Amino acid sequence: MKVITLKSIITIIAFSFFQNKMYAQAVNWENTSKQNKNLLHANIGAEYGVTAGLGYHHLIPVKRFPLWIGGEFSIPAGNELADDFKVRLGTQIRIAGLNHFQFSARVQGIARRYHNQSVTLFNFGSDFAGTLGYYRKHWFLGAEAGFDKAIVIHFKHSDWYKKNIYDNVQDGWYEPATGGNFYYGLQGSYSIKKVDITIKAGKILQQDFKSQPLLPFYGQLGINFRF
Amino acid sequence: MKISLRIYLTFIIFSVFSFSCSKARYIDEPGNLVPKTVDQDATLPSISVNGALLHSEAFGPEDSTLIICIHGGPGADYRYMLNCKTLATKGYRVVFYDQRGAGLSQRFPKSWYKSQSSDAINKIFYDELRGVIAHYKTSASQKVILLGQSWGAMLATGYTGKYPADVYGLIVAEPGGLKWDDVVDYISESRSFKLWSEALNDATYIDQFMTGKEDQHEILDYKAGLMGSTNAIVGDVGSDLGNNAPSYVASRSGAVVNAASYELGQDFKPDFSAGINNFSTKTLFIYSSNNKAYPDSWAARIAAAYPNKEIFKAQGVGHSGMFDHVNFWTTTMEPKIISYIQSL
Repeated sequence: MKVITLKSIITIIAFSFFQNKMYAQAVNWENTSKQNKNLLHANIGAEYGVTAGLGYHHLIPVKRFPLWIGGEFSIPAGNELADDFKVRLGTQIRIAGLNHFQFSARVQGIARRYHNQSVTLFNFGSDFAGTLGYYRKHWFLGAEAGFDKAIVIHFKHSDWYKKNIYDNVQDGWYEPATGGNFYYGLQGSYSIKKVDITIKAGKILQQDFKSQPLLPFYGQLGINFRF
Repeated sequence: MKISLRIYLTFIIFSVFSFSCSKARYIDEPGNLVPKTVDQDATLPSISVNGALLHSEAFGPEDSTLIICIHGGPGADYRYMLNCKTLATKGYRVVFYDQRGAGLSQRFPKSWYKSQSSDAINKIFYDELRGVIAHYKTSASQKVILLGQSWGAMLATGYTGKYPADVYGLIVAEPGGLKWDDVVDYISESRSFKLWSEALNDATYIDQFMTGKEDQHEILDYKAGLMGSTNAIVGDVGSDLGNNAPSYVASRSGAVVNAASYELGQDFKPDFSAGINNFSTKTLFIYSSNNKAYPDSWAARIAAAYPNKEIFKAQGVGHSGMFDHVNFWTTTMEPKIISYIQSL
């Protein structure tokens, strides 16, 4: 046991500063304009469960490095819709481009909650990803790879758990990092006027590069509305 | 941008205040999220069998008929069977043990299980049960009765088929299957979560909070325990042990032995009914009314392997409720089991 370190706090703060946008949303960099700086998006799919999400992003038109900032709120399916959720805030920035090929990076801070009969978990984490794609005005196709890290996590066990499973379980904040998953896959979109239909799918691997989560893939179907 | 700035500041302030007064803990430290095992806590009752330290206790007169309680899983523990302890007051020697890698018994790497290869069931489970019996047996003539539930019933059946002369009586409660294909079918049926269900979400969503490497037992056991607490399909709603509960609450899943056993099963497709046709003594076969994955037709299919049997349907309880509901145990199960033993 040790008192939680200043390092952890700084880490979280650092991620907070980076929270300009972070969402698993697919963005067509060829289809951004100063007239459409706002992006509303909704999606359904599978990511550690069957999920649905809503988000908003705003375009900062920096000359060579345009970036989207914003966030997304998502929940998994289940009888109790509010007991689990994930909030992601961050930024996605175009780093390099050559002809129609472009490379972008995404940095996100994550706050998420998990609740069941036994325990309530609250976690702060981060998500870093890069996407290399071929972009045209009305469509794009890209490949992405990223790492989702659970940095610190808070455990609060139920009375039921302490009565039936383990009475001496230790509640509180746990560190160092409690988990991490790599993911990689494909994404793309097709645009019709101010609406983009997006799709992404890929595989998830735990940080030991051997184990898999119970749901070892992700997939998402989304819609963007630019205004 | 002003709104964004407010969000940042809120997050920063919350982050600082959330952590500044807390103490850090490690999720893989024994005792934090899951109880310590017998090799980590010398105060727990244990025996040394077949190269492993097993969590084990026995009650009742040492020289009387042995009743060996065999828990489910693989990877569960004997805690939910502790109502059987009252059989000790009826003159029997009642033995409980957590199988290697399960409950509070010693953990082993997954590679160790997998290295047992095609002889794994013998070397891991049958030899261990034989060692437990030998540990508690005080004379060659002492009678041995096996009482197994779920996976424990499969193990008891396989052991009896291998050593029919060593077993005086056999009580099996809902063995999932005895042929490997039946085992797979039963597992699928008893865990067939709906895509939108809370149960499936509870099982999958946690993988973004905690991940454990292949032999990080504390993490893997904890996650397995969260998933296995209750199961509406098989009618498990939690245990009620009454005064039979020990002074400590310490239940722990064995995730590695569970995963390794299933993989070994897939590789070698063991037949737990092998040799059971040579066991001519009556077997007491029990199943429950609340287990939706164990209808009458499935009970008849599985029970067909036993040449001489009495089939009993436990009304109003589920898969584990046959043993872990103290009232049902007292009023129904214990009298049934005593009646069976006396009929042998």
